[in-house]
Amino acid sequence: MFAQHTLRRHLGACLAGLAAMALVGSIAAAPAQAETTEAADGSKVLRIATDGFIDSFNPFTSFYLMPTNTFKYMYENLVSNSAEDTSVTEGLATEWDTGSGGKVWTYKIRPDMKWSDDEPLTAEDVAWTYNQMMEKDEMSVANGGLVENFDKVETPDDQTVVITLKNPQANNPGQEIPVVPKHIWSKIDKPGEFKNDEQTVGSGPFQLESYEANKSVTLKANPNFWRGEPELDQIQYRYYTNSDAQVQAIRSGEVDFITGLSPEQFTAIEGADNVETNVGNGRRFQGISINSGLADADNEEFGTGNEALKDKKVRQAIRAGIDIDTLRDQVLQDYAQPATSFVPSVYEKFALPADNPVVSGFDVEKAKELLDEAGWKEGSEGIREKDGKTLELRLLTDSDATVEQKTAKFLKPWMKDIGIQLKNEASDVDTVSERTTKGDYDMYFSGWSLNPDPDYQLFINTCDSRPDAEGSGGTSQDGYCSKTFDKLYRQQHVELDENKRIDLVHQALAQHYEDTASITLWYPNQLEAYRSDRFTGFTKQPTDGGIIANQVGYWGYTSVEPVNAEDASGEGGGMGAGGWVGIAAAAIVVIGGGGFLLSRRKKSDDRE
Amino acid sequence: MTTPTHDLPTPSGEPDPGSTGSSGGRADHDMDEPPKGGSFLGYLLRKLGGALTSMILVVVLGFFAFRMLPGDPVLKIAKERPMSPAQIAELRSQYGLDKPVIVQFWDYLVGIFTGELGESYVYRKPVSELIVDYLGPTLLLTATAAVLAIGLGLWLGQLSAWRRNSLFDKVASSTSLVFWSVPTFWLGLILLMIFGGTLQWLPTGGMITPGLDPWSPAGIIDVIKHLILPVITMVAVVYAQYLMVMRASLIEEMSEDYLTTARAKGLTEDEVRKKHAVPNALLPTITVVFMHIGGLITGAVTVEAVFSWPGLGKLTFEAISGPDLPLLQGTFVVFSAIIIVMNLAADIVYRFLDPRVRRA
Repeated sequence: MFAQHTLRRHLGACLAGLAAMALVGSIAAAPAQAETTEAADGSKVLRIATDGFIDSFNPFTSFYLMPTNTFKYMYENLVSNSAEDTSVTEGLATEWDTGSGGKVWTYKIRPDMKWSDDEPLTAEDVAWTYNQMMEKDEMSVANGGLVENFDKVETPDDQTVVITLKNPQANNPGQEIPVVPKHIWSKIDKPGEFKNDEQTVGSGPFQLESYEANKSVTLKANPNFWRGEPELDQIQYRYYTNSDAQVQAIRSGEVDFITGLSPEQFTAIEGADNVETNVGNGRRFQGISINSGLADADNEEFGTGNEALKDKKVRQAIRAGIDIDTLRDQVLQDYAQPATSFVPSVYEKFALPADNPVVSGFDVEKAKELLDEAGWKEGSEGIREKDGKTLELRLLTDSDATVEQKTAKFLKPWMKDIGIQLKNEASDVDTVSERTTKGDYDMYFSGWSLNPDPDYQLFINTCDSRPDAEGSGGTSQDGYCSKTFDKLYRQQHVELDENKRIDLVHQALAQHYEDTASITLWYPNQLEAYRSDRFTGFTKQPTDGGIIANQVGYWGYTSVEPVNAEDASGEGGGMGAGGWVGIAAAAIVVIGGGGFLLSRRKKSDDRE
Repeated sequence: MTTPTHDLPTPSGEPDPGSTGSSGGRADHDMDEPPKGGSFLGYLLRKLGGALTSMILVVVLGFFAFRMLPGDPVLKIAKERPMSPAQIAELRSQYGLDKPVIVQFWDYLVGIFTGELGESYVYRKPVSELIVDYLGPTLLLTATAAVLAIGLGLWLGQLSAWRRNSLFDKVASSTSLVFWSVPTFWLGLILLMIFGGTLQWLPTGGMITPGLDPWSPAGIIDVIKHLILPVITMVAVVYAQYLMVMRASLIEEMSEDYLTTARAKGLTEDEVRKKHAVPNALLPTITVVFMHIGGLITGAVTVEAVFSWPGLGKLTFEAISGPDLPLLQGTFVVFSAIIIVMNLAADIVYRFLDPRVRRA
C-alpha cells in the first residue's frame, strides 16, 4: 500500500512536471524566434497560400487543380493562350498552319530552345509526348480527351511537328497539352506512375524544386525559359486548410498572394495595410440547370423530372421570373459579371453578346404570360394548376454552399409571384451529385470553368454527350439535346474562318439560350489579394480586368518583381519582443490566473 | 452535452464479479482458482474479447458505411472537368471501382490483415504509409495538449475541490465550463484572428516554415511557435473534463475518516491534501484520462483543420471531401483502433491502480 501510494505521488509529480516543462519550454524558447526568421538567404520568394489537392505532378495523370495549374508554369505547350485576350499565341511553336481544312496541322518549332537541364528541346519531344498519350491508357488519364481526335503525329525534321487528325477541327490542337522532355520520361520504367515531384525538367518559366505533402510546394525559376528568366527566384505554395486562415496569413505577411476569397472575406481585407486586391473577371459560369426531360443516348427517358419542365415556355418563364441583377448584388455583393449564356464574357469573341435579340431580362408579366400560354392557370393560393396538377418544382441545393442557400431564399418568393411552388431540397454535395446523375431533380445549381476555346463546352451540350443506357459515360452539362444546336456545333467545329466560326458559336449559344436547358446566372469574379509592399508586376489574364491565379497559361507570376529586393527574401511575419511578452501574459491568463490563486492558497494555509 | 461530468464513464466499467463484485463471485474464485492471477487473466481475456469484437465491427463498418455514402468518387473528380467517357472508365478501373462490391470487400479484408490498407485515390500512395507519415504531427499536437490539459485540469480540479464553493472554485469551474462549451472551430478561428492576423505574434497555420530543418534549433523553435495556438485551443476545450473529475473525486475523498486521522497526526492542511487526499482521488481520474486520450486524438480533426496542421485529422478531413474511400477507411480503422486500445488500457490500468480491485 505504501509503495503504491509513493508510485501515485510520483505519477502526479511527473504529470505536473511535464506540464510545467512544456509551458515553460514554449515560453522560454520563444523569444529566440524574433531573430531567426524564415529561410533568409536573400532569394526572391513569392509565397502563395493554397489548399489544393495534389495526387502527383505527373502531367499525364494528374487532374487536380493545384497540379494542373503548376503544369502551366512547368511545361510549355505547342501553342499557348495570350495574356491579353487568351487568343492562341506562340508557345514552343513560332508558327502553325492548317492547309487542308483543319485536318493536318503543321507547326514550326522555335530553334535552339533548351530544357531546364540544358538539353536541346526539339520536335521529337513534342511527338513523343503526344504519342504516349495516344498509345497508352495510363498516359491518357488526365488529358486523353485532347488527343482523341489525333490520328498520327510526325516529325519530318527537328523543327517541324505535323499532327494529322481523324476529323478536321477549327480549334488549334496544339493547346493545353504539357510537352515533357523525352530524354527524361522515356527512361522511366512506368511513366504513368511517376510522381515527378522534385527537381523536374521542363520548358516553362518555373520548375518544381520540392514538394512536401500538405506543407509546401516550391518552384524554382528556369533560366532557360525561352521568354527569358523570371525575376523571381522561387514560388512557394504554402498549405492552409481553410480560407479564413489564408486571409489572416496575408494580413500578417506570412504569404504574399491569396485567391478564391468569398465576397465577405474580400470586403474584410480591403483596405488592410500593404494589401492590394484584385477583382478578376473569371472564366467560370454559375447557373441553374433545369431537368428538361432527361434521356440517355438512345432517347430512353430516365429520372424524376417534373413533366411541366419539358415545356420550353415553363423554363423560359422561370428565367423571366428571376431578378438576376438583384441576386448578383445581394448574394455576391456584385462580385460577378452579368451573364448571357455559358461562355463567360472574358472570352469576348465567343461569348453571346448581351444585345443578341434572344437575350431577355427580368419580366414578371412576361413570365406569367408564358405560363398562361403553356396552359398553367392560376389555382388556389396563387399556385398554378394544369390537368389537376399543381406546379411544384424541386430545387436541389448544397447546404454548405452559401451562395446557393442565399439564392434559393430569393427564388422561393419570386417563383411564388409567378405561380410556381419552389421547394428547396438542401443536402450535402455528394447527395446532390448522386441525385443529379440519376436525374432525380427538377433544378440544381451548376457551374463550369471554361478554357479559351468553347468547343468542349459546346460539345457537352450536344445529344452525343448524354449518358449511355447504363447511366454512365457522358458528361452532359444539362442533358440538353437539340438537332439545331448539334448542327451548329458540327459546323463551328470545322469552320476555319474565325469570324464565321464566331457567328456559328453565337447562333449555337442563342439556340441554347432560347431552349433554356439552363439559366446562366453570372460569371463570378475571382477575388484575389497580394502584398503590395513586397511584390509588384502581376499580369492579369485578360490583361484588362482579368485574373492572376488559375490562368490558362503562365503569365500571372512570371512577370512579378520584388518591390524592394531586401524585403522579398521570404521574411516577414516575425514578431517583436513585445509580442512574446504578450504571449507569456496570455498563457498566464489561460492557466486561470494560477499564480495569483497560488499565493492566496499559501496565505490561507499559513493561517491554519 | 453541457457538463463534462455527464458523459464520464464509471471508472471501473461494468461491475466485475470476478474481482470486485459480489461476495458470491469472490467465493467461487477463492475455491476454484488462484486468487490473483487467474481472475486477472479472466478479466483480461474478457476485456480483450470485447475489444476484438469492437474491432471486427469497426473493420466491417469501415468498409460498408463509407460505400453507403452518396456520391461517386470518380464522378466527383470528373465533375466540371473536361473529361471523356474513356478517361472516366480508366479512372474507375485504376481505383478498382469497376469490381463487384464483394470483391472489393474481400480485397479490403485481405489488406487489413496484411497491413495493406489500399492506395489513396488522391495521394496515389499506400494508405498505411500516409497514416504513418501523418501520425507524428498528430501525436506531437495531441500529446502536448494532453499533458497540458491533464496537468492544468487536475491541478485546478484539486484546488477547486479543496476550497469548494469558494470564489476560486466558482471562477475556475465556470471558466472551464465556458471553454468546454465553446465550439472548437470558433475558438480556434478567434485565436487565429487575434494572435495571427491582427497582432501577428504567431503563425497562422502549418507546423513548420517551409525550408527549415525541423531538427535544427531554429526549426524546433519554429515548430513550437506553430504549436502554441493549436495547443491552447485544444487545451482550452478539454481541460474542463479533467478538472471536473478531479474535483468530484476529491470531494468524495474529503469526507473520509483517514483525513481526520492525518490531521490528528499534526499534518498541515496542505500536506493532508497532497499526501493523502489527492493520491486517492487520482485513482478514478487516471482511468478517465486514459479513456479520453483516444477522444483527444479524434478531437484533433477540427483543430488540425483550423490551423492547417499536417496531421491525421487533416488527412481525414481531406479524405472526406474526396471522397477518398481507401483513405477514409484507413483513418477510420486507425482512429477507432486507438480508442479501443486506449479503453482497454484504461481498464487494465485501473485494475492495477485500485487496491480494491487488485486485492494485493
